[in-house]
Amino acid sequence: MKARRFGTLLGLIVLCLVLWALTPHFLTVANLLNVAEQTSINAIVAVGMTFVILSGGIDLSVGSIVALAGVLLGLSLHAGHPPALSLLLAMSIGGVAGLINGLLIDRGGLPPFIVTLGMMSMARGLALVVTEGRPISSFEPAFRAIATMRIGFIPAPVLITAGVYAIAHLVLTRTAFGRYVYAIGGNEEASLLSGIRIHLHKPLIYAVSGLTSAIAAIVLTARLNSAQPIAGTMYELDAIAATVIGGTSLMGGRGTLAGTLIGALIMGVLRNGLNLLGVSSFLQQIVIGGVIVGAVLVDTMLKRQRA
Amino acid sequence: MMRTLTRLAVVLIAIAAVACNRTANDAAAISAKPAVALVLKTLNHPFFVEMRRGAQEAADRLGVQLQVQAAEREIDVEKQMQIVENMIQTGIKVLCITPSGSREIVSALVKARDAKIPVIIVDTRLDPKTAGDAGVHAETFIGSDNYEGGRIAGQYAITITGGKARIGILEGIPGHETGDSRLRGFREAIAAEKAMTIVASQPANWERDQGFNVFQNMLQAHQDIDTVFAASDLMALGAIEAIAAAGRTGKIRVIGFDALEDAKKAIEAGTMAASVAQFPYEMGKAAVESAVKVMHGEKLPADIMVKLEMVTRQ
Repeated sequence: MKARRFGTLLGLIVLCLVLWALTPHFLTVANLLNVAEQTSINAIVAVGMTFVILSGGIDLSVGSIVALAGVLLGLSLHAGHPPALSLLLAMSIGGVAGLINGLLIDRGGLPPFIVTLGMMSMARGLALVVTEGRPISSFEPAFRAIATMRIGFIPAPVLITAGVYAIAHLVLTRTAFGRYVYAIGGNEEASLLSGIRIHLHKPLIYAVSGLTSAIAAIVLTARLNSAQPIAGTMYELDAIAATVIGGTSLMGGRGTLAGTLIGALIMGVLRNGLNLLGVSSFLQQIVIGGVIVGAVLVDTMLKRQRA
Repeated sequence: MMRTLTRLAVVLIAIAAVACNRTANDAAAISAKPAVALVLKTLNHPFFVEMRRGAQEAADRLGVQLQVQAAEREIDVEKQMQIVENMIQTGIKVLCITPSGSREIVSALVKARDAKIPVIIVDTRLDPKTAGDAGVHAETFIGSDNYEGGRIAGQYAITITGGKARIGILEGIPGHETGDSRLRGFREAIAAEKAMTIVASQPANWERDQGFNVFQNMLQAHQDIDTVFAASDLMALGAIEAIAAAGRTGKIRVIGFDALEDAKKAIEAGTMAASVAQFPYEMGKAAVESAVKVMHGEKLPADIMVKLEMVTRQ
């Protein structure tokens, strides 16, 4: 486990060194904070995705849940509800949408791919229906502070991300629920036989994913000062990429949140660096795709050498 | 394991060293030229590819270094914001941008203002209220009057139908200033004609395949549609395919917007009635020319309008 995390971290460091050599604009405090802030949304979505993938599942609905939670947050703020209540509402919506995913997968016995594919379409559709397709814009400064405020010199979204990771890490490593996430992903049948209450924990895992998507929606809405029903398109792929680059096995049972954070940072640093270097957006897609495959390839090679 | 890692690291560092060397030389060559950024909505649309060509021509002529960046998808406001943040870090002198969202991009432009980088808006206007509230000011706006374009299309529709038509409209992404203005212009132009009826109006999100599907559905619901106005040519071209699939080519008049190459061919072939031509090449050129003026401290007019033209069969 340690060796693999080390491999991903090394990848991130090498990437930073290369960019530092290529452009004088990369290694500045302003730019690094910039990257951290830009990475925050994908990093937060990837927390829930890591829980789900660790349990042997997949969640394709995260991007649509970002949009749905975002627009309901926007509507609630525009209706004049206090920000705290609106945030709570958004997080509940995300959690409930995730819970519905989990219940359908667990009680309905359906494959996670199908259920979350359905939710992806339904949540997106609902977001479009409630807004009639239009963005909801302009919020009060108190709410926008979630994205614009700096504590010391650190942007608030970065601190929120750190907080989400700290809590999620504790849940994953220090609680029974966390251990069951690994156990269910490792061997679901054995987990069931050994008395783990899968029917309680599995829906909760998807609820966590919905919840982190909603937290990402809050940061995104504050950042853009706008909630868009078309927001979050393809976020599921970015989150899966961050999780996989971070060394979490798509088969479930193996991986860490630290790895996912590094995975998200690799993607963020790469996008930032390619922008700084003025690389065309078409080439960027090729490079990012190559890095995803390359990272997993290296990971697989390391595993084989150890075995 | 360590051996593989070491090997990997050595290879990467070697690549970096070579690349670094090259960039150092390049940097020496270009360092004298001031950099202007052109941030587009996307580069997978002929309109923006043309705009880039115009901008590049002006940049080469005027001796500035042009950096063009765009999000992968036109609707990705957050990605465009990231690009703006990243470009600010590279020490550009002027930022030219076609906003993916009239309101959303204001948050990014606040950062440009704080970095004292002047901004030129191209093609899609900022929302004046959001920009005003945030204290964001653009040096100038360069674009065509989309409202006027919509009006020209509406008047043309009246002419070719003799003032009697059942109209289906394909809208762009809802809430986009560009599409909204075109539709407003079109609707207001035909408002006075009692026999010009809009029977359906649906968004097809600027895309060709959605233009096909949405119009196919529209035809199912309204067999009597005889005229289509699409807020962009890609959607119009999709609709033309749908009309062909329904075996009604030539019976339904299609008016588009942008006068893309494919649309001009369709007009020549008679499958499309007309398209409002914009001149993205001129916009890109004007953007860089204006950027250079800003660098020299010149004042620019609030709006620089680029002409519009109705393209019809000769």
